[in-house]
Amino acid sequence: MDLENTKAQMRKGILEYCILSVLSRNSCYSSDIIKELKEARLIVVEGTLYPLLTRQKNSGLLSYRWEESPQGPPRKYYELTKSGRNYLKELDKSWKELVESVNLIRKR
Amino acid sequence: MKITVSVNIGGSSFNIDEDAYSELKRYLKNLEIHFADEESASEILADIESRISELFRQKLTTFKQVITIDDVNEVTAILGSPEDISDNKGPSAGDKFSVPGAHRMYRDTDHRVIGGVCAGMGAYWNIEPWIIRIIIVALTMTGGLGILIYLILYIVLPEAKTTAQKIEMKGDPVNIHNIKESVKKEFDAVRKNMKL
Repeated sequence: MDLENTKAQMRKGILEYCILSVLSRNSCYSSDIIKELKEARLIVVEGTLYPLLTRQKNSGLLSYRWEESPQGPPRKYYELTKSGRNYLKELDKSWKELVESVNLIRKR
Repeated sequence: MKITVSVNIGGSSFNIDEDAYSELKRYLKNLEIHFADEESASEILADIESRISELFRQKLTTFKQVITIDDVNEVTAILGSPEDISDNKGPSAGDKFSVPGAHRMYRDTDHRVIGGVCAGMGAYWNIEPWIIRIIIVALTMTGGLGILIYLILYIVLPEAKTTAQKIEMKGDPVNIHNIKESVKKEFDAVRKNMKL
């Protein structure tokens, strides 16, 4: 068993869940998402986010629109689609169950 | 005194030191290789480029108008190396490039005279492209068959664009080591061109 690999696998699913969570409040520009994930210490390097966002967009969970920015070129604003919201609802449920299960096991 | 290069990154123009330029180019090329088998590779790269451009813009002031190698190193550290970014590939990260024996004919536009068809055939069969060029010219002069062959091959053969394709063209097994070698060669060539 490789500890780093196990950690990375755990983090990956949670990261996808958290991106959707961040976007459920507001539509966001990718740098805003990065800021939140960094503050929560969920990502170390920023590059991790971009393939995930693109994959989530390709599978129909997210959509984006271009918006003018006060400085520099237009920015991509991501938002949840309807199927993204349903997906997130399921993940919320499963997260709650997982936390309960883990707590149950660890308290014994 | 240093030479600077003007580049377009994510839609903004930057003046960047020559050494910083080679470093950034190397970084982007590595990312490109890394995401090569991703469905939306170009989109991911474009997103990363616009982030780089945003981070660079924060580095510039009225008194500092040129991107230096330190800026590039700082920004690439923030974004992470291709290995850091690959969260999902696990231990098999290197495997996807290992397609030993893949040997395809491409147009070799790096060594072209017209469209890279003869250079590509030369690379494929490992013979001097001039021999093929002479044969094609000879066939053209004795009835025009050569030009027909050339045109068909020009249309049919794809251009060897990526590093992996360039290696496939020569028939070496494609693996990380080869790609690194080939990328390094390319940068040395770029570096040489710049110094001239």
